[in-house]
Amino acid sequence: MSERARTPVNRGRVDWTGDNPGIYLKTDEAGDWSALALSFKITLSPHGRGRAMLVLGAPDEAVGYPAAPNLCIAENDSLMRYLIEGYISKFPTFRGRAGLAAMPILPLDEAIQEGSYQSVQTETVKSGGTRLAMTWRGLGAPFAVEVSPEQSATGEHDMYSLFMEAGSAGIAVDNQPLPGQVVKRPFFGTQLSSGFLAFSETWVTPTPAEGGA
Amino acid sequence: MPIQPAVNPGQVDWSGENPGILLKEDPEGPFSAMALFFRIACSPVGPGQALLLYEKPQEAASLPGAHNVMVSDNEALGHYLIDHFIAKLAAFAEAPAYGALRHLPAKAVRSEGDPRSAYAEIVETADFSVELRWSGLGTPVALELPPSLTGPKDRELFTVLVEAREAAILVDGRQLPGVPVPRVQAGIETTTAFLYFSESWMIPPQVAP
Repeated sequence: MSERARTPVNRGRVDWTGDNPGIYLKTDEAGDWSALALSFKITLSPHGRGRAMLVLGAPDEAVGYPAAPNLCIAENDSLMRYLIEGYISKFPTFRGRAGLAAMPILPLDEAIQEGSYQSVQTETVKSGGTRLAMTWRGLGAPFAVEVSPEQSATGEHDMYSLFMEAGSAGIAVDNQPLPGQVVKRPFFGTQLSSGFLAFSETWVTPTPAEGGA
Repeated sequence: MPIQPAVNPGQVDWSGENPGILLKEDPEGPFSAMALFFRIACSPVGPGQALLLYEKPQEAASLPGAHNVMVSDNEALGHYLIDHFIAKLAAFAEAPAYGALRHLPAKAVRSEGDPRSAYAEIVETADFSVELRWSGLGTPVALELPPSLTGPKDRELFTVLVEAREAAILVDGRQLPGVPVPRVQAGIETTTAFLYFSESWMIPPQVAP
């Protein structure tokens, strides 16, 4: 059996690793995103471990919760700020969104995962009386992705991850579903639903010799 | 470094966390105790958590005389891992304990600590508890191994390795004998105590059924 040639040891710095599923919704398929959400379950980072969920229900409004559904609930505040500054704010879908800068980060009291990718999976986080939820349905087979900085969402990192695309997905803030549906979007030469599970995801800052950041 | 195409053509077998501890009393002798923990996010039989423990690797026996067991919260996953993964890892499959394993349900599973310093996985059954402890943890390293550099030899591997210089396996608070010993993986001098995070196994197209 022939095998693909690899450099087995990535000499870059492992920044963080964990799960990072997302849901991006549109009310008009030809228009901009109407709602964005990311969930994080980080097992290793310079700021430790932690769970979090971030929702921008009004991505381009410089207004935070409760006036607008732009908020984050995080178990580890310093980890969340690290992820926002170094990663999320550089993702093309989130870059320049006024809601990102305006959202409060609330302390996480409880995180619940219900169901399974085999049927319906829901992740819920709570902070006091505030509740965020993300739900994925109709998930496809997992596939692995590996990208260098020129292809990664930040433009600075190597990234390894597994993805499962969802046939449908929803975001809810305080039990109120946000409007919009998932759509297909370009994804490394193919089309992928904007509702997806992403897990076993690792971000690596390449060494300067490798031409990275 | 990542290679092209960005979308791996292989079929994902399973993905998750897979830390382990293999201990020896004599560096030149056989393993005195062995454990692998699994926190699986996806597999052909669903997600779950599992602990493979060889309290007495050199004995073809299980409870009550030896805690040679597979404990899991998804029995199908426990069997899948034994039949399709552990069976291909020589250090585990060739040990006398392999053929005598008993499968038991997990009552509770939790992790503690921070993989930057000290970390633990604790698994409880109805009758006993097992704690795996790692400390003296090193700098995490991302590995992307071709099949020839993996244990099973038939699949690619993405993983993050954190080596441990100290580790212990405890059964009901009783520490099993032995210490981690040196080993080499993909040219890296490391030890037989390790954390593996975000570990994904992909079966290349020419092998996948």
